[in-house]
Amino acid sequence: MKSQMIDSTPGDVLSARAAYNERLARLADKTRAVWFPLAILVILLVLPLLQFVGNYNYMLHLVLLTASYVAMAAGWNILGGFAGYISLGHNVFFAIGGYFAGMILARFGISAIIMAPVAGLVAAAFGYAIGLITLRVRGPAFIISSIAMVMIARLLFDNWHFVGGANGVTLPAPNLSSQWAKLPYYYAMVAIAAVTVWSSYRIKHSKFGLGLRAISKDEIKAESAGIDTRFYKVTAFAISAFFIGMTGAVWGEYLTYIRPSIFLVILIAANMVLMCILGGKGTVAGPVIGAVLLVAFNEFFVAMMGASELNILGTGVIMAVMLMFFPLGIVGTLALKGKLPRILNWD
Amino acid sequence: MEQIIQVTILGIGLGGVFALMGSGLSLVFGVMRIVNLAHPSLIIAGAFTAYWGFRLWGIDPLVMLPVATLLLAAIGVLLYKIFFERNAKSATYSEMTVLLTFAIAMIIEGALGAMFSNTQRVTSPSYATDAFFLGDIFIPKGQLYAGMVSMLIIGLLAAFLKYSRLGYAIRATTQNRDAAALLGVNVNMVGLMSFAIGIGLAGAAGALTSFVFSFFPAKHWEWIAVLMSLVVMGGMGSIVGTVVASFGLSIVAAFVGAYVGSTWSTMTFFLALFLVLLFRPQGLFGEKPELL
Amino acid sequence: MTEFLKVEGITAGYGDGPAILDGAHMTVQQGKVHCIIGPNGAGKSTLMKVIAGMLPVRKGEVIFKGENLKGLRPDQTLRRGIAFVPQERALFPKMTVRENLRMGGYILNNDRERDRRIDEIFDRFPILRERADQHAGTMSGGQQQTLAMARTLILRPEIVMFDEPSLGLAPMIVREMFAIVRMIAEQGVTVLLVEQNAVMGLKHADWGVVLDLGRTLFEGPAQEVLHDPRIQELYLGGRKVA
Repeated sequence: MKSQMIDSTPGDVLSARAAYNERLARLADKTRAVWFPLAILVILLVLPLLQFVGNYNYMLHLVLLTASYVAMAAGWNILGGFAGYISLGHNVFFAIGGYFAGMILARFGISAIIMAPVAGLVAAAFGYAIGLITLRVRGPAFIISSIAMVMIARLLFDNWHFVGGANGVTLPAPNLSSQWAKLPYYYAMVAIAAVTVWSSYRIKHSKFGLGLRAISKDEIKAESAGIDTRFYKVTAFAISAFFIGMTGAVWGEYLTYIRPSIFLVILIAANMVLMCILGGKGTVAGPVIGAVLLVAFNEFFVAMMGASELNILGTGVIMAVMLMFFPLGIVGTLALKGKLPRILNWD
Repeated sequence: MEQIIQVTILGIGLGGVFALMGSGLSLVFGVMRIVNLAHPSLIIAGAFTAYWGFRLWGIDPLVMLPVATLLLAAIGVLLYKIFFERNAKSATYSEMTVLLTFAIAMIIEGALGAMFSNTQRVTSPSYATDAFFLGDIFIPKGQLYAGMVSMLIIGLLAAFLKYSRLGYAIRATTQNRDAAALLGVNVNMVGLMSFAIGIGLAGAAGALTSFVFSFFPAKHWEWIAVLMSLVVMGGMGSIVGTVVASFGLSIVAAFVGAYVGSTWSTMTFFLALFLVLLFRPQGLFGEKPELL
Repeated sequence: MTEFLKVEGITAGYGDGPAILDGAHMTVQQGKVHCIIGPNGAGKSTLMKVIAGMLPVRKGEVIFKGENLKGLRPDQTLRRGIAFVPQERALFPKMTVRENLRMGGYILNNDRERDRRIDEIFDRFPILRERADQHAGTMSGGQQQTLAMARTLILRPEIVMFDEPSLGLAPMIVREMFAIVRMIAEQGVTVLLVEQNAVMGLKHADWGVVLDLGRTLFEGPAQEVLHDPRIQELYLGGRKVA
């Protein structure tokens, strides 16, 4: 055994290693099911055709809602899942995107759907600036600072007369019949969700994403390995704010009003976190699965039982159970056991 | 001049109640290294206990205070048994427990909301709206009583920690968990007791709060940031630091409320939390950051 | 020679991690000073943690006066008379010296007896009486180590284990620490000592135990171990022992 190791030249070892890595990569390719998310996307794109044969507004609303949460959760996942910085305040960027696009719409009549990327950039700029400050700390201190961020934002928006204070601003509704009124927002939100998930896949497999994962494993080691951790973290913060800001922009116009009590409530931030924990933090499919399940659960509670308090209670219970028993989430737990179905392996 | 004295008095009155709210949180963090985001929601549960005692049977909230304390202490034991006894030794333990207490806060808010609905309430014993007058300066009786009772309870807590056997064990576990275990301290039991005492204090604070502030189940989110500012500034785990920070910040907040605008007085706490966390995470008096 | 504490074939490690100790053994005689030496990572501290009950034994046994200590918690070994001062930070920095000593007698149920024993400690270590109401964390390194060692005596243990009492102390203070160790042994208390500085440790010990890679290489009377050529090879890198 020992003599063998001495005999083998470094070149042999390296080529053996390369072959091994290649085999692993091929294995991953074979188990990854790219066709599945694409198929879902195609189905979602043709789904509104149902409006020709009947009224499926509620279903479209649900898809739209789910898509908005997919985008937010997948956006949150870039900072919280990949880099490991848990933020309970990311709804601030939801609000920034919503308010920016909403005010443009109210003042200049430019649709938030067109302005969404700009709103995302504004949110990203805020994210970058806030990240420069709050990412100085990590762990519980970072979590608490993110809560403080929401409280400060809420107080500011509640008292900012230009944006209507606590009453917010009513936005003009689109000039479409109720049959088709949802469609622009539907397509916008599905597109944003798809772009966000695809981006998170690309980020995860980039050098940048590798750096983020190194930070979440051991930040000091990552730093000593030559990763500019500060730049990586702050950039991840800005990118996640970008996607959430875009979502906020479309969401505000869809609701036809912007108001602090819509954007800056803790349940929205909690949902983003919970969706990722439920589906699997740091995985690509996790936030999507989490969003679908949680929206279904919320609808069940609110629509069937009509009590938002019970909804909060149930959200808390699910979160506690997941944290205690399945901290890796659905995707993570199944993958660990080697039982992840191929259609859910998007990583 | 008179107005300055007046504002200071109002600040001190609030500071007393906040000190009691924060000391339980600080105790639990000291022993267990758990940032208990559910603490404010448990204070609301204590406030509801006093509220219903007064509404249903006309019992004075000060009399309901021991009841709320014991009830919440029992809830504290339950929470410890269900959520925290399994000592997770993972590297992300502290982060995981923050999210876990966040989930518990939602559970308690949801349960209270489902039972009692999200309307503003306040317990109104006669003294809640009464005041003493010293010349032109008025001292609201409700705040005065609440502040005095708070100080009394904190004094008792300090004496308990200083002199009792369990108090020694709690302090020792806070300062050096492994060394305490090696000297024969059952650190798991100490964790349980600190939870019972810490959450019991939340119950006591809730009973006092019930006639000082109006409250509703969802109000605790605002208090999370307020209480965190107190314990973080005081140096997590230091009860003396928490008390000092409570009075200091409350007085500043009272002045902000009087001279800048009442809506901005809570901003004092939020900004203080933000600034302390980022620039002096060990707190004003601490030597090493506990939270990182 | 009475076999007082017997450590045999111990395998142990942290969590699911690899075995740090892999079949270590040592003989412990009553009333003697035993010095455990070995290079970094040899498993010296781990052996003490196993005896104290801080780490579970995977294989092998620790037998104290005929009783197998397997599966006992630290507080249980403490009640049987085995006290342990871990490396560094064994004190409660924000408690006073007196309060630290009281913690040393935490498992005593008689407060008066405890305070009487604390008084005895004060007689033996006058510096501690002088500093009785000072926070432990504000004392010098040597004084803190003195307090940590003195604190174990409150329970009148049969065995005390010190993990590197000389760590981070000036050479003169180190000599004081070893004087304390000798004094404790003269009271009839058995001492186990982990020492980084092998020469220094063995000079003050009666019995030497050499660990490497989780195994006991050999053990014997301290003087013989000190002059054993194997030691110089393994541990001192061939340098001549002074």
